[in-house]
Amino acid sequence: MKIKNIIITFVSAIALLLSTSVVSFAKVVGDKIVLGAAVSLTGKYSSNGVHTQNGYNMAVDRINSMGGIKVGGKTYKFEIIYYDDESNPKRAAQLAERLISQDGVEFMLGPYSSGLTKAMAPVTEKYGVPMVEANGASRSLFTKGYKYLFAVLAPANLYLDVAIRTAVELNGGKGVKIAQAFEQDAFSQDVRLGILDAAKDTGSEIIIDDKLPKELNDMAATLVKVKQMKPDVLVVSGHTKGALTAIRQISEMKVDVPMLAMTHCDAAKLSKQHGKNSQYALCASQWHKTLTYKDKWFKDGMTYDADFTKMFGYAPPYQAAESSAALLVFKDAFERANSFDQKKVRDALAATDMQTFYGNIKFAPGGQNVSKPMVLFQVMCDSAGKCENKVVAPLKWASAELIHPIPKWSER
Amino acid sequence: MSNKNLFLYIGILIFGLTAPFIFPAFKVQLSILCVLIVLATTWNIQGGEMGYNSFGNILFYGLGMYLCASVQVGMFFPLAEWTESGGEKTFVHTPAQFFQGMAAGLVVAAIVPTIVAGLIGYSILGLRGHYFAICTLGLGVAAGEISGGIEIIGAGQGFTTPPFPDFGGLEARGEFFYFLSFFVLVFTFIAVRTIYSTRFKLILNAIRDNEDKAEAMGIQTMKYKIIGWMISAFFCGLAGGIMGGLVGYIDSTDVAFDGREMGVFMVLMAILGGKGTLWGPIIGATIFHIFKEGFWTFFLGWQYVALGVLIVVIVIYFPEGIMGWLREKYPERFGEVVDEADRKAQVELK
Repeated sequence: MKIKNIIITFVSAIALLLSTSVVSFAKVVGDKIVLGAAVSLTGKYSSNGVHTQNGYNMAVDRINSMGGIKVGGKTYKFEIIYYDDESNPKRAAQLAERLISQDGVEFMLGPYSSGLTKAMAPVTEKYGVPMVEANGASRSLFTKGYKYLFAVLAPANLYLDVAIRTAVELNGGKGVKIAQAFEQDAFSQDVRLGILDAAKDTGSEIIIDDKLPKELNDMAATLVKVKQMKPDVLVVSGHTKGALTAIRQISEMKVDVPMLAMTHCDAAKLSKQHGKNSQYALCASQWHKTLTYKDKWFKDGMTYDADFTKMFGYAPPYQAAESSAALLVFKDAFERANSFDQKKVRDALAATDMQTFYGNIKFAPGGQNVSKPMVLFQVMCDSAGKCENKVVAPLKWASAELIHPIPKWSER
Repeated sequence: MSNKNLFLYIGILIFGLTAPFIFPAFKVQLSILCVLIVLATTWNIQGGEMGYNSFGNILFYGLGMYLCASVQVGMFFPLAEWTESGGEKTFVHTPAQFFQGMAAGLVVAAIVPTIVAGLIGYSILGLRGHYFAICTLGLGVAAGEISGGIEIIGAGQGFTTPPFPDFGGLEARGEFFYFLSFFVLVFTFIAVRTIYSTRFKLILNAIRDNEDKAEAMGIQTMKYKIIGWMISAFFCGLAGGIMGGLVGYIDSTDVAFDGREMGVFMVLMAILGGKGTLWGPIIGATIFHIFKEGFWTFFLGWQYVALGVLIVVIVIYFPEGIMGWLREKYPERFGEVVDEADRKAQVELK
């Protein structure tokens, strides 16, 4: 074989490439604390990935401009190294490895979605890298005994629990008939488990239990069944695409159902994109701008909403707010640990007990945030057709009364 | 084997064995490179040598991945409890259990896909050309959807593979998976090289060049096509098993039956390097991997656009791949005898 030379050149070229491409960042360079993050900039979670990234950036900006982080008498600033995980768990796991072993990152922020967090957590855990994540809600993340994983959000199985309980209450305490359709991914399947628990608890009956594909753009089959079987509640979960598809087809097919409960309505900008068609939809949310939590960086939800809108040109969905909160948690932990030792920072994180504009944050031993309830909002439109999300449950924060049952399409 | 070749192989072997120590930060990327080369090389058996463009090899890869992880868990713990509700309960493997499970898992991951290839090959390999390509494309998609509904392997929640046991320090996991994938790569290379030196390869080529004529000459083409596919399935299954452990989390359509990425990449890598050659897929996979990793770092968010451009460039300028292009440029180096006068005459004809 005479191609030896070619191959030798080739092998040495790779060697050269590999050796020169070692860009080494340390955890703390000069006055910077470098955090690593893989977010979905492309692929099926790209819109939520961007919300996550914007949330992170907003908080980095804010914290840095308000004096940064004080550790050991010195002031530091945050910096984030981003990679695109392409909405793919395989990629996410690789990137976690890459951020830690190649880029030398010692503190991580989470990706978007439970599936990707599930793929990254074993890696960060192995290296003992503290990860504060804001977008992985799957319950199974918190039962693995991970020591370095902290989530600022409430677990996924609680997302629509309130909706079912409210429906039962409005039904005079008797069980309701539930139709549900969930995307085949870790998060939505966990929401489903939560519904199953709630149904069992309240004596409700699940009459339709469908699975939706990942690249979700059609759920007509489920809706035809809903039309036939007339359930009391229709539950749909499938990230942004799920919410958009559900509203589009429900309005096209004129499906009448007394209660429609979903996730990701604000990330999908339902009230803006579908206007009146999305009216009366009930949505689970980790955060809403009208909640009365406060902190000194973002003041409160309304201010955060205004500042974020000014900076990025759209109203922040809760995915952005919780991502911003993750940075606040990190800052707080660094200052309390007063060190960059990973173990000490980890212990400081575990002891977190603070209020942010996004909500109270206190971690259970499993790493989930236990001191912040979910809220439910309903899309409500005025006669001019302008729609808004209004919190309807829990009652403490409710700014409007739940409209139930949803009026029939023929009467709208 | 000539002396020069021997040196080349020894050189590559030494590079392979020392690479994780020279580039300790790149162990995972290097392991993935090994897996990619295995996939491209074995895809080449159908796509390159036999002329059957299969998009279905991802089926064996995903099957291997699920099987390996299931066996590794199922040997010591109840699998259903492991995967229930996305992994509510967690069991911890001891190092011995982990490695025994992995070994047994890989054996199953290699054998079962081979049998599956034999079974479905009989019906599918009767199709030719586009029909075969479309049919195999469907296989991967169907497998992804079906596996996403099977509760015992985690369904939509995904399947967390056993975490690497507390054994040998921080670097142990990376080294273990690197050497495992490198070993499988070497094994694959030797196997494929040996196969290509026999009559079997000539038969595959005959099928590619004219299947009817090959049959008329008394070759039982179906038998050889199925055997060829089974060989691919064997190595794809192994590659999948390793990849599952390496990633640590199996998702039905995004990691295991990832036809949109891995399934297409293996074809692309083989074509980029030059299908129908031994070294083509290896070079193609290496360049592809470096290219992708590079763009990933420097052109965040644009890597797929760059990939698209790469595909267009390959199709327009290197339709025969890098090896094909080199062969055309330097035919002497590939052992082809070229008559200078003849070549000149050809050039003038143009």
